Amino acid sequence: MSIDRTVRHVKAIITGTKYLFSGPRMTIMYPEDIEELPEGYRGMIEYDWNSCIKCSLCAMICPADAIKMYVSKEESEKEKKIVKRPGINYARCIFCGFCVDICPTNSLTFSKVHDMAYYTYEEHFYPPDKFAEGIKHVHKGRRVRVILDEKRGIKYEPVD
Amino acid sequence: MQVQEILNMLFEPYIFIPLVFPGLIAAFIVLLIIIWLERKIAAKVQLRYGPLYIIKPLGGVIQTVADLIRYLFQEPIIPKDVDKLAFLLTPVFLFGLAYLPVVVIPIGPSYYAFRSDLSLLIALALTTLAPIFTVLMGWASNNKFSLIGSVREGYLVISYEIPIFLSALSMAILYGTLDLVEIAEAQRGIWGIFLNPVAAVNMLVLMYMSTSKFPFEIPEAESEIVAGPYTEYGGILYGLVMGASYVKLYVLSLVYSILFLGGWNPLPQSMIGNPFISGSVLFIKSFILVAFGAFLRAVYPRFRIDQAVGLGWRISLPLSLISIFISLLLVMGGVRFVY
Repeated sequence: MSIDRTVRHVKAIITGTKYLFSGPRMTIMYPEDIEELPEGYRGMIEYDWNSCIKCSLCAMICPADAIKMYVSKEESEKEKKIVKRPGINYARCIFCGFCVDICPTNSLTFSKVHDMAYYTYEEHFYPPDKFAEGIKHVHKGRRVRVILDEKRGIKYEPVD
Repeated sequence: MQVQEILNMLFEPYIFIPLVFPGLIAAFIVLLIIIWLERKIAAKVQLRYGPLYIIKPLGGVIQTVADLIRYLFQEPIIPKDVDKLAFLLTPVFLFGLAYLPVVVIPIGPSYYAFRSDLSLLIALALTTLAPIFTVLMGWASNNKFSLIGSVREGYLVISYEIPIFLSALSMAILYGTLDLVEIAEAQRGIWGIFLNPVAAVNMLVLMYMSTSKFPFEIPEAESEIVAGPYTEYGGILYGLVMGASYVKLYVLSLVYSILFLGGWNPLPQSMIGNPFISGSVLFIKSFILVAFGAFLRAVYPRFRIDQAVGLGWRISLPLSLISIFISLLLVMGGVRFVY
């Protein structure tokens, strides 16, 4: 009974030692290494100013009330009627992708950027002009691909 | 001229050993390195990196220095309902008592601060004083988690203290002396761990138990009772109480290295007179023991209190009695040591 237990203690310590000297490391060194994301990844949303037909379907479908139509002053004065364009609030967005799916002209698309951290609450808001500027904070790191390996469990391979 | 005198005085053994090596400064460096190493080893076993970004090529080795600076500049919060005197003094006493036994530890056959016929007993007796302050700390904090933690410490004390003394004394019976210098010198041929492996294994386990290393990290069980007796402490006071158990483990490892791992042996006769070389050998042995204690954190979950107490009374106590029996058999069988 107690001999069996002692053997198990020794086995546990041997396993620990094995991992200490030969185990793989699962950590991805994020800002230096960036994981290559799959097609159809739902990151932050990009907005194309010119192809938008201002139908406001995106604001209507948005389940989290993240997309809202803003009155565009310049265009309203020029066209002598109220013109609205979509803006997004990333504090509310749940990345469900309904707006991208429903957009009739594909002027809303997904990017593969997911670094969404801001210093202030106000920075979460993207009114139409800022929304159309696109995403600027893209990390320039080594792109890696995740590969499942029989022996090492998981490993990262650089993508060229 | 005066600088020379001060330097000469510093290298006198009765100042050098308690203050510099293997005393306060060495203990402090061990403390800084071992906390980093503990996190690093646990990270490697769990397939992570651990602290990394402060001096990246060296794997973030000065992370603990950064932590220490943070502790030093943090406001020490004293809760309203605590017993102030006991609350403030216990960390100091705990840390002081944890490193005090180093006074009797020799780092060479002729380099010691304090030689006594009973130095093994003195070292062990001084290490047993620290748990009293842990219990006092729990009482003074006036917090349920602190109290539960210190009562658990009390449970553990009664279960490890007797076997650890018996295992150490079985070696004293074997060598026929309680003097640490003579014990180390007696192992010039064969080490104590090979003569009495039962006592060696038993004392190793109990040593980790007495400093609440991982399988026995019961008093400060983080997932159950916040930080046990240390719950109310913050800032540098927390640094002291947390460091105390590591320093105690370091000191016990020094005693263990002398008792079982041959002290400064094996060294050639020409080098053994140099206290720095013999001291380094002793230091490396004890550092490996401390590092092994840190490694256990990555392997083991925490025992229940009844499992730990049961281990103390049902397994360790009989094993320590067996080790005394082995020592007696060896002595009666004619094993003699010449000093």
